[in-house]
Amino acid sequence: MGRRLGAAYDWFDERTAIRSLLRKGLYEAVPVRGAWFYTLGSATLVLILLQLITGIFLTLLFVPSVTEAWQSLNYLKEHDAFGSIVRGIHLWSAYILLFVIGLHMVRTFFSGSYKRPRELNWVTGVGLFVLVLGMAITGAFLPWDQAAYWTAVVVTNIPYYTPFIGSFIRALWRGADTVGPITLSRTFGIHVWLLPAILFPLIGAHLALLRKHGEFGSYINYRGAYKSREGVDVPPAPAQRPIEPPYPAAPSEELWAAPLQTEDFYPHQTFKDGIVSAALVVVVFILAVAIGAPLEAIADPATTSYTPVPEWFFLPLDELLVLVPQQLIPLVLVLPTGGVLLLLALPFIDRGPERNPFERPAVMVPGAFAVLFVVILTLLGSGRLFNL
Amino acid sequence: MAHRDPRRLSRRQFGILGTQVSGAVVAVLLGIPIIGFLLSPLFRQQQAVWRKVGDIAGVPDGEPTKFEVAFPQDVWTTAEENLAVYVVKSGANTRVFSNVCTHMQCPVRWDPALHQFLCPCHGGLYDINGLNVGGPPPKPLPQYVHRIDGTTLFVENRFTEEI
Repeated sequence: MGRRLGAAYDWFDERTAIRSLLRKGLYEAVPVRGAWFYTLGSATLVLILLQLITGIFLTLLFVPSVTEAWQSLNYLKEHDAFGSIVRGIHLWSAYILLFVIGLHMVRTFFSGSYKRPRELNWVTGVGLFVLVLGMAITGAFLPWDQAAYWTAVVVTNIPYYTPFIGSFIRALWRGADTVGPITLSRTFGIHVWLLPAILFPLIGAHLALLRKHGEFGSYINYRGAYKSREGVDVPPAPAQRPIEPPYPAAPSEELWAAPLQTEDFYPHQTFKDGIVSAALVVVVFILAVAIGAPLEAIADPATTSYTPVPEWFFLPLDELLVLVPQQLIPLVLVLPTGGVLLLLALPFIDRGPERNPFERPAVMVPGAFAVLFVVILTLLGSGRLFNL
Repeated sequence: MAHRDPRRLSRRQFGILGTQVSGAVVAVLLGIPIIGFLLSPLFRQQQAVWRKVGDIAGVPDGEPTKFEVAFPQDVWTTAEENLAVYVVKSGANTRVFSNVCTHMQCPVRWDPALHQFLCPCHGGLYDINGLNVGGPPPKPLPQYVHRIDGTTLFVENRFTEEI
Protein backbone atom coordinates (compact mmCIF):
# COMPACT_ATOMS: atom_id res chain seq x y z
CA MET A 1 0.00 0.00 0.00
CA GLY A 2 2.76 2.40 1.05
CA ARG A 3 4.56 1.52 -2.12
CA ARG A 4 1.48 2.24 -4.19
CA LEU A 5 1.11 5.61 -2.50
CA GLY A 6 4.77 6.31 -3.11
CA ALA A 7 4.36 5.48 -6.77
CA ALA A 8 1.30 7.73 -7.01
CA TYR A 9 3.28 10.50 -5.36
CA ASP A 10 6.09 9.98 -7.88
CA TRP A 11 3.58 10.12 -10.71
CA PHE A 12 2.13 13.33 -9.35
CA ASP A 13 5.58 14.82 -8.71
CA GLU A 14 6.69 14.11 -12.25
CA ARG A 15 3.79 16.18 -13.51
CA THR A 16 3.72 18.99 -10.92
CA ALA A 17 7.16 19.13 -9.26
CA ILE A 18 5.29 19.09 -5.95
CA ARG A 19 8.26 17.62 -4.11
CA SER A 20 10.68 20.45 -4.80
CA LEU A 21 7.90 22.96 -4.26
CA LEU A 22 7.24 21.60 -0.78
CA ARG A 23 10.96 21.43 -0.01
CA LYS A 24 11.36 25.04 -0.99
CA GLY A 25 8.31 26.03 0.98
CA LEU A 26 9.08 24.15 4.16
CA TYR A 27 12.83 24.19 4.61
CA GLU A 28 13.61 27.87 4.40
CA ALA A 29 16.21 29.03 6.93
CA VAL A 30 14.68 31.35 9.47
CA PRO A 31 16.28 33.14 12.43
CA VAL A 32 16.12 31.34 15.79
CA ARG A 33 16.14 34.39 18.03
CA GLY A 34 13.07 36.60 18.15
CA ALA A 35 11.08 34.06 16.24
CA TRP A 36 7.98 34.54 18.40
CA PHE A 37 7.80 38.09 17.06
CA TYR A 38 7.79 36.69 13.53
CA THR A 39 4.54 34.84 14.18
CA LEU A 40 2.60 38.09 13.70
CA GLY A 41 2.71 37.83 9.92
CA SER A 42 1.37 34.30 9.80
CA ALA A 43 -1.25 35.21 12.43
CA THR A 44 -2.36 38.06 10.15
CA LEU A 45 -2.63 35.63 7.26
CA VAL A 46 -4.61 33.12 9.31
CA LEU A 47 -7.04 35.82 10.46
CA ILE A 48 -7.47 37.04 6.88
CA LEU A 49 -8.22 33.48 5.76
CA LEU A 50 -10.73 33.24 8.60
CA GLN A 51 -12.37 36.34 7.13
CA LEU A 52 -12.43 34.78 3.68
CA ILE A 53 -13.98 31.52 4.85
CA THR A 54 -16.61 32.98 7.18
CA GLY A 55 -17.30 35.74 4.64
CA ILE A 56 -18.01 33.23 1.88
CA PHE A 57 -20.45 31.39 4.12
CA LEU A 58 -22.16 34.60 5.22
CA THR A 59 -22.98 35.40 1.59
CA LEU A 60 -25.02 32.17 1.55
CA LEU A 61 -27.59 34.01 3.64
CA PHE A 62 -27.01 37.77 3.66
CA VAL A 63 -29.14 39.86 1.27
CA PRO A 64 -27.42 43.12 0.27
CA SER A 65 -30.58 45.20 0.03
CA VAL A 66 -31.81 48.09 2.15
CA THR A 67 -35.12 46.35 2.71
CA GLU A 68 -33.68 42.94 3.54
CA ALA A 69 -30.09 43.21 4.78
CA TRP A 70 -31.14 43.82 8.37
CA GLN A 71 -33.95 41.25 8.17
CA SER A 72 -31.62 38.56 6.88
CA LEU A 73 -29.17 39.13 9.73
CA ASN A 74 -32.00 39.35 12.22
CA TYR A 75 -33.20 35.96 10.97
CA LEU A 76 -29.67 34.67 11.55
CA LYS A 77 -29.68 36.07 15.06
CA GLU A 78 -33.11 34.70 15.95
CA HIS A 79 -33.17 31.36 14.19
CA ASP A 80 -29.67 30.19 13.37
CA ALA A 81 -27.32 29.58 16.27
CA PHE A 82 -24.45 28.27 14.15
CA GLY A 83 -24.89 31.03 11.60
CA SER A 84 -24.64 33.52 14.44
CA ILE A 85 -21.34 31.98 15.50
CA VAL A 86 -20.07 32.26 11.91
CA ARG A 87 -21.02 35.94 11.88
CA GLY A 88 -19.45 36.33 15.32
CA ILE A 89 -16.20 34.81 14.07
CA HIS A 90 -16.28 37.12 11.05
CA LEU A 91 -16.65 40.18 13.28
CA TRP A 92 -14.27 39.26 16.08
CA SER A 93 -11.53 37.95 13.84
CA ALA A 94 -11.80 41.23 11.92
CA TYR A 95 -11.32 43.19 15.14
CA ILE A 96 -8.37 41.06 16.22
CA LEU A 97 -6.95 41.13 12.68
CA LEU A 98 -6.76 44.93 12.85
CA PHE A 99 -4.80 44.62 16.09
CA VAL A 100 -2.45 41.94 14.82
CA ILE A 101 -1.74 43.57 11.46
CA GLY A 102 -0.96 46.76 13.38
CA LEU A 103 1.47 44.89 15.65
CA HIS A 104 3.03 43.20 12.63
CA MET A 105 3.62 46.61 11.12
CA VAL A 106 5.04 48.06 14.35
CA ARG A 107 7.39 45.06 14.67
CA THR A 108 8.60 45.51 11.09
CA PHE A 109 9.07 49.22 11.68
CA PHE A 110 10.97 48.56 14.89
CA SER A 111 13.37 46.03 13.42
CA GLY A 112 14.00 48.05 10.26
CA SER A 113 12.97 45.10 8.12
CA TYR A 114 11.90 47.41 5.30
CA LYS A 115 15.47 48.17 4.27
CA ARG A 116 17.05 47.29 0.97
CA PRO A 117 16.31 44.99 -0.74
CA ARG A 118 12.99 44.55 1.03
CA GLU A 119 11.43 47.95 0.37
CA LEU A 120 8.64 46.42 -1.66
CA ASN A 121 7.82 43.90 1.09
CA TRP A 122 7.03 46.96 3.19
CA VAL A 123 5.19 48.78 0.39
CA THR A 124 2.96 45.78 -0.33
CA GLY A 125 2.44 45.45 3.43
CA VAL A 126 1.25 49.05 3.69
CA GLY A 127 -1.09 48.33 0.76
CA LEU A 128 -2.44 45.29 2.62
CA PHE A 129 -2.92 47.33 5.78
CA VAL A 130 -4.94 49.95 3.89
CA LEU A 131 -6.99 47.26 2.16
CA VAL A 132 -7.75 45.55 5.48
CA LEU A 133 -8.91 48.89 6.88
CA GLY A 134 -11.05 49.30 3.76
CA MET A 135 -12.53 45.85 4.33
CA ALA A 136 -13.29 46.74 7.95
CA ILE A 137 -15.02 49.99 7.05
CA THR A 138 -17.04 48.60 4.13
CA GLY A 139 -17.98 45.58 6.22
CA ALA A 140 -19.33 47.89 8.92
CA PHE A 141 -21.90 49.30 6.45
CA LEU A 142 -23.50 46.00 5.57
CA PRO A 143 -25.79 44.97 8.47
CA TRP A 144 -27.91 48.10 7.84
CA ASP A 145 -28.76 48.52 11.49
CA GLN A 146 -28.47 51.93 13.09
CA ALA A 147 -24.73 51.57 13.71
CA ALA A 148 -24.12 50.44 10.11
CA TYR A 149 -26.34 53.11 8.55
CA TRP A 150 -24.79 56.04 10.39
CA THR A 151 -21.29 54.66 9.81
CA ALA A 152 -22.16 54.60 6.11
CA VAL A 153 -23.48 58.15 6.24
CA VAL A 154 -20.47 59.60 8.04
CA VAL A 155 -17.79 57.61 6.22
CA THR A 156 -19.16 58.32 2.74
CA ASN A 157 -19.53 61.97 3.68
CA ILE A 158 -15.86 62.42 4.56
CA PRO A 159 -14.69 62.47 0.89
CA TYR A 160 -17.19 65.32 0.37
CA TYR A 161 -14.51 67.58 1.83
CA THR A 162 -12.05 66.77 -0.95
CA PRO A 163 -11.41 70.09 -2.69
CA PHE A 164 -13.22 70.56 -6.05
CA ILE A 165 -14.37 66.96 -6.61
CA GLY A 166 -15.76 66.19 -3.13
CA SER A 167 -19.47 65.93 -3.96
CA PHE A 168 -18.56 63.87 -7.03
CA ILE A 169 -16.64 61.28 -4.97
CA ARG A 170 -19.37 61.14 -2.36
CA ALA A 171 -22.05 60.58 -5.01
CA LEU A 172 -19.87 57.99 -6.75
CA TRP A 173 -19.70 55.88 -3.58
CA ARG A 174 -23.29 56.50 -2.51
CA GLY A 175 -24.65 56.11 -6.03
CA ALA A 176 -26.84 59.12 -5.23
CA ASP A 177 -26.69 62.28 -3.15
CA THR A 178 -27.85 60.42 -0.08
CA VAL A 179 -27.09 56.98 1.35
CA GLY A 180 -29.55 54.51 -0.14
CA PRO A 181 -30.03 51.26 -2.06
CA ILE A 182 -27.12 51.80 -4.46
CA THR A 183 -24.80 52.64 -1.55
CA LEU A 184 -25.44 49.24 -0.02
CA SER A 185 -25.11 47.37 -3.34
CA ARG A 186 -21.87 49.14 -4.17
CA THR A 187 -20.38 48.73 -0.72
CA PHE A 188 -21.29 45.05 -0.71
CA GLY A 189 -19.61 44.60 -4.11
CA ILE A 190 -16.55 46.49 -2.90
CA HIS A 191 -16.41 44.41 0.29
CA VAL A 192 -16.83 40.94 -1.19
CA TRP A 193 -15.23 41.34 -4.62
CA LEU A 194 -13.35 44.50 -5.41
CA LEU A 195 -11.13 44.76 -2.32
CA PRO A 196 -10.51 40.99 -1.98
CA ALA A 197 -9.63 40.82 -5.68
CA ILE A 198 -6.80 43.24 -4.94
CA LEU A 199 -6.06 41.99 -1.42
CA PHE A 200 -5.37 38.34 -2.17
CA PRO A 201 -2.99 38.81 -5.12
CA LEU A 202 -1.18 41.40 -3.01
CA ILE A 203 -0.81 38.84 -0.21
CA GLY A 204 0.69 36.55 -2.84
CA ALA A 205 3.17 39.25 -3.84
CA HIS A 206 3.97 40.01 -0.19
CA LEU A 207 4.74 36.34 0.51
CA ALA A 208 6.64 35.84 -2.75
CA LEU A 209 8.85 38.81 -1.90
CA LEU A 210 9.32 37.50 1.63
CA ARG A 211 10.53 34.18 0.26
CA LYS A 212 12.64 35.82 -2.43
CA HIS A 213 14.64 37.86 0.05
CA GLY A 214 14.49 35.55 3.04
CA GLU A 215 14.15 36.37 6.70
CA PHE A 216 17.04 38.54 7.80
CA GLY A 217 16.07 38.56 11.42
CA SER A 218 16.31 41.66 13.49
CA TYR A 219 19.22 43.45 15.07
CA ILE A 220 19.38 40.96 17.93
CA ASN A 221 20.38 38.24 15.46
CA TYR A 222 23.56 40.11 14.60
CA ARG A 223 24.47 42.05 17.71
CA GLY A 224 28.15 42.15 18.54
CA ALA A 225 29.09 39.62 15.92
CA TYR A 226 30.91 41.80 13.44
CA LYS A 227 31.75 45.41 12.81
CA SER A 228 31.62 46.78 9.32
CA ARG A 229 33.52 49.82 8.07
CA GLU A 230 30.57 51.98 9.03
CA GLY A 231 30.79 50.64 12.56
CA VAL A 232 27.55 48.71 12.11
CA ASP A 233 27.28 45.32 13.72
CA VAL A 234 27.07 42.77 10.97
CA PRO A 235 28.16 39.15 10.94
CA PRO A 236 29.60 37.40 7.90
CA ALA A 237 27.38 34.84 6.28
CA PRO A 238 27.62 31.44 7.96
CA ALA A 239 29.27 29.11 5.51
CA GLN A 240 26.74 26.32 5.81
CA ARG A 241 23.79 28.46 4.84
CA PRO A 242 24.68 31.13 2.34
CA ILE A 243 21.74 33.43 2.05
CA GLU A 244 21.27 35.95 -0.66
CA PRO A 245 20.94 38.83 -1.18
CA PRO A 246 23.46 41.05 0.55
CA TYR A 247 22.70 42.55 3.89
CA PRO A 248 23.02 45.34 4.67
CA ALA A 249 22.87 47.63 1.68
CA ALA A 250 26.38 48.99 2.04
CA PRO A 251 28.51 48.51 -1.08
CA SER A 252 31.02 46.04 0.29
CA GLU A 253 31.55 42.39 -0.48
CA GLU A 254 32.27 41.51 3.16
CA LEU A 255 28.80 42.42 4.25
CA TRP A 256 26.90 39.42 3.02
CA ALA A 257 25.08 38.05 5.94
CA ALA A 258 22.37 35.95 7.39
CA PRO A 259 21.23 35.66 10.99
CA LEU A 260 23.86 33.86 13.09
CA GLN A 261 21.57 31.06 14.12
CA THR A 262 18.92 29.75 11.78
CA GLU A 263 16.63 26.77 11.74
CA ASP A 264 14.20 25.25 9.30
CA PHE A 265 10.89 27.00 8.76
CA TYR A 266 9.19 23.63 9.15
CA PRO A 267 8.57 22.51 11.81
CA HIS A 268 10.33 25.05 14.05
CA GLN A 269 8.77 28.32 12.91
CA THR A 270 5.51 26.64 11.92
CA PHE A 271 5.25 25.33 15.48
CA LYS A 272 5.40 28.87 16.88
CA ASP A 273 3.15 30.17 14.12
CA GLY A 274 0.67 27.40 14.82
CA ILE A 275 0.59 28.02 18.57
CA VAL A 276 0.00 31.75 18.18
CA SER A 277 -2.57 31.41 15.38
CA ALA A 278 -4.46 28.64 17.17
CA ALA A 279 -4.53 30.69 20.38
CA LEU A 280 -5.96 33.65 18.45
CA VAL A 281 -8.56 31.48 16.76
CA VAL A 282 -9.58 30.09 20.16
CA VAL A 283 -9.97 33.64 21.50
CA VAL A 284 -11.99 34.60 18.41
CA PHE A 285 -14.22 31.56 18.84
CA ILE A 286 -14.85 32.29 22.52
CA LEU A 287 -15.73 35.93 21.76
CA ALA A 288 -17.94 34.83 18.85
CA VAL A 289 -19.90 32.45 21.09
CA ALA A 290 -19.91 34.52 24.27
CA ILE A 291 -20.54 37.97 22.82
CA GLY A 292 -21.31 37.37 19.15
CA ALA A 293 -21.91 40.05 16.56
CA PRO A 294 -24.38 42.71 17.68
CA LEU A 295 -27.34 43.78 15.57
CA GLU A 296 -28.98 47.02 16.61
CA ALA A 297 -32.42 48.29 15.56
CA ILE A 298 -32.96 48.68 11.83
CA ALA A 299 -31.60 51.83 10.16
CA ASP A 300 -33.78 54.88 10.81
CA PRO A 301 -32.79 58.15 9.12
CA ALA A 302 -35.51 59.99 11.06
CA THR A 303 -34.08 59.23 14.48
CA THR A 304 -33.56 62.10 16.89
CA SER A 305 -32.62 59.94 19.83
CA TYR A 306 -29.93 57.56 18.49
CA THR A 307 -26.32 58.53 19.14
CA PRO A 308 -24.08 57.07 16.44
CA VAL A 309 -20.98 55.51 17.94
CA PRO A 310 -18.22 54.67 15.47
CA GLU A 311 -16.43 51.33 15.29
CA TRP A 312 -13.45 51.37 17.67
CA PHE A 313 -10.91 51.35 14.84
CA PHE A 314 -12.57 54.46 13.47
CA LEU A 315 -12.26 56.35 16.78
CA PRO A 316 -9.04 58.28 15.98
CA LEU A 317 -10.57 59.66 12.78
CA ASP A 318 -13.87 60.35 14.56
CA GLU A 319 -12.04 62.30 17.25
CA LEU A 320 -10.31 64.29 14.50
CA LEU A 321 -13.78 65.12 13.16
CA VAL A 322 -14.61 66.57 16.58
CA LEU A 323 -11.34 68.46 17.04
CA VAL A 324 -10.84 69.92 13.57
CA PRO A 325 -12.60 73.30 13.30
CA GLN A 326 -15.06 73.98 10.49
CA GLN A 327 -12.57 75.94 8.39
CA LEU A 328 -10.12 73.02 8.32
CA ILE A 329 -12.37 69.98 7.80
CA PRO A 330 -10.29 68.72 4.82
CA LEU A 331 -7.58 68.00 7.42
CA VAL A 332 -9.44 64.80 8.29
CA LEU A 333 -8.62 63.65 4.76
CA VAL A 334 -5.14 65.12 4.61
CA LEU A 335 -3.82 63.57 7.85
CA PRO A 336 -4.66 59.90 7.12
CA THR A 337 -3.67 60.25 3.46
CA GLY A 338 -0.41 61.91 4.47
CA GLY A 339 0.16 59.17 7.04
CA VAL A 340 -0.24 56.43 4.44
CA LEU A 341 2.02 58.27 1.97
CA LEU A 342 4.67 58.64 4.67
CA LEU A 343 4.42 54.93 5.46
CA LEU A 344 4.84 54.12 1.77
CA ALA A 345 7.86 56.42 1.58
CA LEU A 346 9.48 55.10 4.77
CA PRO A 347 11.92 52.62 3.16
CA PHE A 348 13.03 55.30 0.72
CA ILE A 349 13.60 57.83 3.51
CA ASP A 350 15.35 55.58 6.04
CA ARG A 351 17.92 54.06 3.69
CA GLY A 352 21.01 53.59 5.86
CA PRO A 353 22.23 50.11 6.78
CA GLU A 354 21.57 50.66 10.47
CA ARG A 355 18.81 48.41 11.79
CA ASN A 356 19.16 48.79 15.54
CA PRO A 357 16.02 50.69 16.59
CA PHE A 358 17.99 52.64 19.19
CA GLU A 359 20.39 53.88 16.52
CA ARG A 360 17.63 55.16 14.24
CA PRO A 361 16.15 58.06 16.21
CA ALA A 362 15.30 59.94 13.01
CA VAL A 363 12.54 57.43 12.22
CA MET A 364 11.84 55.94 15.65
CA VAL A 365 11.02 59.25 17.33
CA PRO A 366 8.55 60.51 14.67
CA GLY A 367 7.13 56.99 14.47
CA ALA A 368 6.60 56.88 18.22
CA PHE A 369 4.93 60.30 18.11
CA ALA A 370 2.63 59.17 15.30
CA VAL A 371 1.57 56.09 17.28
CA LEU A 372 1.14 58.25 20.39
CA PHE A 373 -1.01 60.71 18.40
CA VAL A 374 -3.32 57.91 17.22
CA VAL A 375 -3.50 56.42 20.72
CA ILE A 376 -4.34 59.80 22.28
CA LEU A 377 -7.05 60.43 19.68
CA THR A 378 -8.48 56.98 20.43
CA LEU A 379 -8.45 57.64 24.18
CA LEU A 380 -10.05 61.07 23.75
CA GLY A 381 -12.68 59.56 21.46
CA SER A 382 -13.54 56.73 23.84
CA GLY A 383 -13.60 59.13 26.76
CA ARG A 384 -16.06 61.36 24.92
CA LEU A 385 -18.34 58.57 23.72
CA PHE A 386 -18.31 56.28 26.73
CA ASN A 387 -17.92 58.95 29.44
CA LEU A 388 -14.78 57.32 30.78
CA MET B 1 20.37 38.76 -44.95
CA ALA B 2 18.15 40.30 -47.50
CA HIS B 3 17.99 44.03 -47.84
CA ARG B 4 14.94 45.41 -46.02
CA ASP B 5 13.17 48.71 -46.44
CA PRO B 6 13.49 50.42 -42.98
CA ARG B 7 10.16 52.21 -43.53
CA ARG B 8 8.34 48.90 -43.58
CA LEU B 9 7.40 47.02 -40.44
CA SER B 10 9.38 43.91 -39.75
CA ARG B 11 7.45 40.73 -38.96
CA ARG B 12 8.46 41.16 -35.30
CA GLN B 13 7.41 44.81 -35.10
CA PHE B 14 4.12 43.88 -36.70
CA GLY B 15 3.62 41.23 -34.04
CA ILE B 16 4.32 43.69 -31.21
CA LEU B 17 2.01 46.29 -32.70
CA GLY B 18 -0.74 43.74 -33.21
CA THR B 19 -0.49 42.52 -29.61
CA GLN B 20 -0.67 46.06 -28.25
CA VAL B 21 -3.56 47.03 -30.49
CA SER B 22 -5.47 43.90 -29.45
CA GLY B 23 -4.97 44.79 -25.79
CA ALA B 24 -6.04 48.37 -26.36
CA VAL B 25 -9.21 47.30 -28.21
CA VAL B 26 -10.22 45.00 -25.33
CA ALA B 27 -9.41 47.66 -22.72
CA VAL B 28 -11.45 50.34 -24.48
CA LEU B 29 -14.43 48.10 -25.23
CA LEU B 30 -14.56 46.94 -21.61
CA GLY B 31 -13.57 50.24 -20.05
CA ILE B 32 -16.19 52.49 -21.61
CA PRO B 33 -19.27 50.60 -20.45
CA ILE B 34 -17.79 49.87 -17.01
CA ILE B 35 -16.87 53.48 -16.33
CA GLY B 36 -20.22 54.62 -17.70
CA PHE B 37 -21.94 52.08 -15.44
CA LEU B 38 -20.09 53.45 -12.42
CA LEU B 39 -20.89 57.05 -13.25
CA SER B 40 -24.48 56.68 -14.44
CA PRO B 41 -26.12 57.23 -11.02
CA LEU B 42 -24.43 60.63 -10.92
CA PHE B 43 -26.35 61.83 -13.93
CA ARG B 44 -29.68 60.49 -12.80
CA GLN B 45 -32.18 63.19 -11.93
CA GLN B 46 -33.76 62.56 -8.57
CA GLN B 47 -37.52 62.52 -8.91
CA ALA B 48 -39.26 65.39 -7.19
CA VAL B 49 -41.75 64.00 -4.67
CA TRP B 50 -44.07 66.08 -2.51
CA ARG B 51 -45.44 64.57 0.66
CA LYS B 52 -47.93 65.78 3.22
CA VAL B 53 -46.29 66.18 6.63
CA GLY B 54 -49.45 67.03 8.56
CA ASP B 55 -51.33 69.77 10.31
CA ILE B 56 -48.98 72.25 11.94
CA ALA B 57 -51.65 74.41 13.57
CA GLY B 58 -50.75 72.97 16.97
CA VAL B 59 -47.02 73.69 16.72
CA PRO B 60 -46.18 76.09 19.55
CA ASP B 61 -44.37 79.30 18.80
CA GLY B 62 -40.61 79.18 19.40
CA GLU B 63 -40.49 75.45 20.07
CA PRO B 64 -39.14 73.15 17.34
CA THR B 65 -41.53 70.26 16.81
CA LYS B 66 -40.57 67.02 15.15
CA PHE B 67 -42.62 65.35 12.42
CA GLU B 68 -41.79 62.28 10.39
CA VAL B 69 -42.57 61.99 6.72
CA ALA B 70 -42.14 58.97 4.44
CA PHE B 71 -40.41 59.33 1.10
CA PRO B 72 -39.81 56.66 -1.52
CA GLN B 73 -36.35 55.26 -0.99
CA ASP B 74 -34.94 56.17 -4.39
CA VAL B 75 -34.15 54.07 -7.45
CA TRP B 76 -35.71 50.59 -7.64
CA THR B 77 -36.90 50.00 -4.10
CA THR B 78 -40.61 50.31 -3.51
CA ALA B 79 -40.04 50.70 0.22
CA GLU B 80 -40.27 54.11 1.81
CA GLU B 81 -38.08 55.57 4.49
CA ASN B 82 -39.04 58.06 7.15
CA LEU B 83 -37.23 61.36 7.29
CA ALA B 84 -37.37 63.78 10.21
CA VAL B 85 -38.75 67.29 9.81
CA TYR B 86 -38.44 69.98 12.47
CA VAL B 87 -41.07 72.69 12.19
CA VAL B 88 -40.08 75.96 13.86
CA LYS B 89 -42.61 78.77 14.16
CA SER B 90 -41.66 82.26 15.12
CA GLY B 91 -44.57 84.62 14.70
CA ALA B 92 -45.82 84.48 11.13
CA ASN B 93 -42.61 82.84 9.97
CA THR B 94 -42.42 79.05 9.66
CA ARG B 95 -39.19 77.20 8.97
CA VAL B 96 -38.93 73.53 8.08
CA PHE B 97 -35.60 72.00 9.04
CA SER B 98 -34.13 68.60 8.35
CA ASN B 99 -32.33 66.62 11.05
CA VAL B 100 -29.27 66.23 8.82
CA CYS B 101 -26.15 67.86 10.24
CA THR B 102 -24.12 69.79 7.66
CA HIS B 103 -20.86 68.46 9.10
CA MET B 104 -21.07 64.67 8.58
CA GLN B 105 -24.86 64.30 8.10
CA CYS B 106 -25.51 62.76 11.50
CA PRO B 107 -29.03 63.07 12.97
CA VAL B 108 -29.35 66.29 15.01
CA ARG B 109 -32.02 66.69 17.67
CA TRP B 110 -33.60 69.67 19.41
CA ASP B 111 -32.32 69.90 22.94
CA PRO B 112 -34.82 71.90 25.01
CA ALA B 113 -32.38 72.31 27.90
CA LEU B 114 -29.68 73.79 25.67
CA HIS B 115 -32.31 75.55 23.55
CA GLN B 116 -30.23 74.48 20.57
CA PHE B 117 -30.12 71.76 17.95
CA LEU B 118 -27.39 69.34 18.97
CA CYS B 119 -25.53 66.87 16.79
CA PRO B 120 -24.59 63.84 18.91
CA CYS B 121 -21.71 62.73 16.68
CA HIS B 122 -19.22 65.57 16.84
CA GLY B 123 -20.94 68.16 18.99
CA GLY B 124 -22.30 70.50 16.32
CA LEU B 125 -24.73 73.17 17.60
CA TYR B 126 -27.38 75.16 15.76
CA ASP B 127 -29.61 77.84 17.22
CA ILE B 128 -33.37 77.86 16.84
CA ASN B 129 -33.01 79.60 13.48
CA GLY B 130 -30.80 76.77 12.25
CA LEU B 131 -27.68 78.88 12.32
CA ASN B 132 -24.51 76.86 13.01
CA VAL B 133 -23.34 78.41 16.27
CA GLY B 134 -20.88 75.86 17.66
CA GLY B 135 -18.75 72.84 16.87
CA PRO B 136 -17.62 71.74 13.44
CA PRO B 137 -20.70 72.25 11.16
CA PRO B 138 -19.69 74.54 8.28
CA LYS B 139 -23.23 75.55 7.22
CA PRO B 140 -26.64 76.25 8.76
CA LEU B 141 -29.09 73.39 9.31
CA PRO B 142 -30.65 72.47 5.96
CA GLN B 143 -34.27 73.45 5.28
CA TYR B 144 -36.74 71.49 3.20
CA VAL B 145 -38.41 72.99 0.16
CA HIS B 146 -41.99 73.21 1.44
CA ARG B 147 -45.39 74.80 1.07
CA ILE B 148 -48.19 75.36 3.55
CA ASP B 149 -51.82 75.08 2.47
CA GLY B 150 -53.79 76.65 5.29
CA THR B 151 -52.25 74.82 8.22
CA THR B 152 -51.17 71.70 6.31
CA LEU B 153 -47.47 71.33 5.64
CA PHE B 154 -46.12 69.67 2.48
CA VAL B 155 -42.41 69.08 1.85
CA GLU B 156 -40.41 68.08 -1.20
CA ASN B 157 -37.56 65.58 -0.96
CA ARG B 158 -34.85 68.20 -1.38
CA PHE B 159 -33.25 70.98 0.57
CA THR B 160 -33.28 74.68 -0.28
CA GLU B 161 -29.50 74.52 -0.42
CA GLU B 162 -27.41 71.48 -1.20
CA ILE B 163 -25.26 70.10 1.57
